[in-house]
Amino acid sequence: MTQPAVKARNPVAAHPVTSAVITVLVVADIWFALYVPLFARATPKVGDFPFFYFYLLIYMPATGIVMWIVYLLQKRLRPAGTQEAAPAAGEAR
Amino acid sequence: MSHVNYVVFTIVLVLFLLVTLIGFTAARWRRAEDRLHLNEWGLGGRGFGTFIGWFLIGGDLYTAYTFVAVPSAVFLAGAVAGFFAVSYTIIVFPIALIFMPRLWSVCRVHNYVTPADFIRGRFGSRSLALAMALTGILALMPYIALQLVGIQAVLTVMGVGTTAGNAFLRDLPLIIAFLVLAVFTALSGLRAPTLIAFVKDTLVYLMIIVAVFYIPTRIGGWGHIFAAGHAHMAAISPKTHKPTGVFIPTARESQIAFATLAFGSACALFCYPHAITATLATRRRDVIKRNMSLLPLYSIMLGFIALLGYMALADKPTVASVKGPGKGNAQLAVPYLFQHMYPSWFTGICFAAIVIGALVPAAIMSIAAANLFTRNIFREFFKPDASPRLETRVSQWASLLIKVGALLFAIELPKTFSINLQLLGGIWILQTFPSLVSGLFTRWFHRYALLAGWAGGMIFGTIAAYKTASPTASHWASSTDIEFGHTVYIGLSALILNLAIAVILTLIFKAVRVPAGADETLPHHYTADPVQAPAPTPAGVGLGAAGTAGAAGD
Repeated sequence: MTQPAVKARNPVAAHPVTSAVITVLVVADIWFALYVPLFARATPKVGDFPFFYFYLLIYMPATGIVMWIVYLLQKRLRPAGTQEAAPAAGEAR
Repeated sequence: MSHVNYVVFTIVLVLFLLVTLIGFTAARWRRAEDRLHLNEWGLGGRGFGTFIGWFLIGGDLYTAYTFVAVPSAVFLAGAVAGFFAVSYTIIVFPIALIFMPRLWSVCRVHNYVTPADFIRGRFGSRSLALAMALTGILALMPYIALQLVGIQAVLTVMGVGTTAGNAFLRDLPLIIAFLVLAVFTALSGLRAPTLIAFVKDTLVYLMIIVAVFYIPTRIGGWGHIFAAGHAHMAAISPKTHKPTGVFIPTARESQIAFATLAFGSACALFCYPHAITATLATRRRDVIKRNMSLLPLYSIMLGFIALLGYMALADKPTVASVKGPGKGNAQLAVPYLFQHMYPSWFTGICFAAIVIGALVPAAIMSIAAANLFTRNIFREFFKPDASPRLETRVSQWASLLIKVGALLFAIELPKTFSINLQLLGGIWILQTFPSLVSGLFTRWFHRYALLAGWAGGMIFGTIAAYKTASPTASHWASSTDIEFGHTVYIGLSALILNLAIAVILTLIFKAVRVPAGADETLPHHYTADPVQAPAPTPAGVGLGAAGTAGAAGD
């Protein structure tokens, strides 16, 4: 029953800036899809698409990119070397 | 079967047979040492990587009902009732990214199969786990039935089985399709829908790409499509003397309804047991995180699927077919649109996409509900010493029974009733959010306070939904109602009540020192990333060692 040393340093405390950026990205991604007054407009039209519809459609790939950046940033939170040090099956109890 | 187009019928039949073949052979795919272990049958061996995981989760979340109901809602009422689904499927991914990796880790470490397993282990409460399991099963039943309603819409437009007076004969094609699905799911478990999801996604992408580029050229371009949608939504309805729908939600009231519907639905989606089942079937923690950025690709498709509603409005023959005398079923809008736009062979491919698109989530939902029954009702209350083999057997039979139940639902009850129940299902499943998500981050909440909050939210949500009325229905008419002067999603107001009860009672229970129950998890379990799947030994299964000793004591 080897207890991994992951508790030694809290990753959030160790990387305050990266953690803050992640939080801002996730919250902003939710907020800008929900704050309807921002995009509930017919103009400017993009092609034939009213702005409201264009905005929500283009938001999809944007979310995918933001989520990928968050994923890469979260990798940096993980102290090098501890990635595989998490408890294997069965060690838990 | 007088108006059947045999080209369409043959193509749908051939693709259905292909999928059936895949379903039956799936049991041999990535074959496991012990096929009869619940981790194998119910979670596909917990070994799917990013690529397969994408198909599995995507094929699971975007149901046939999405393809039929979202555009039909846009067709009927525009942006707030239908297009909110686009906003909802945007924010579901950042929300899920916050808590799903933690759920994956703790379930991996402790070999939990269902969300209720986790609640049981975290809060040491059999009653709270039972509440979670019952809510899950209750919410999934009408959801499965709705997949059938989607298939029915396609069959109706195909002209299959609609002429017979006898209800059994009329629905015979649906019954056969569903029994085939039930049998291969029981045999192959989660592997069957996972493999079929590849076929589903290929067909659905083909359907959407062609629709987006071809249909506008046939009916006068996107400008005309949006103009038709705008004109229809602005027209004054003779029934209500108000505009038919909302094209762009510029009024404050419609904006609040739009945002609360999107936010509430997004919080609910990953509380659904079938979404959790697909997530737990993945191999590593990173697989989920990567998929939260890859799955929005699927949502782009949903955005265009929603716009099919406006395309249907822009095409006069489709509007005439949907709203013709004695009709008026908006769910037929998309099938009719395809029928009017495409040559028979491509209509067949599109219809097959919708039918197969219904089979995948229906299979995963029945597996998820069966796992809940087996782990959290059968094993917990009737046979605590059940072997993994027995668990799998019970799950196989439960999945069959659940599907038959859903079939009766879809055939016997009026369609609007199934839709209302699904609406209720969303409100109900959202009431499991506080226990599930708070439990992943903190043990501050008291187990009985969470239980009371859940009960309060369930009762309030059900009554509030019952009381909604429209000019055409006296009850169950809407998923929004008016709270404190604003039109909001009922699920969200019930959730707020739920949380308020949980907070207040937690403070009280802590003050009078009501036992908080044992917690078998440790903080680092929530960030763990075990390479190996949990060992499939009976002693190590789930709650076996720590949970059943009665230490929890409630």
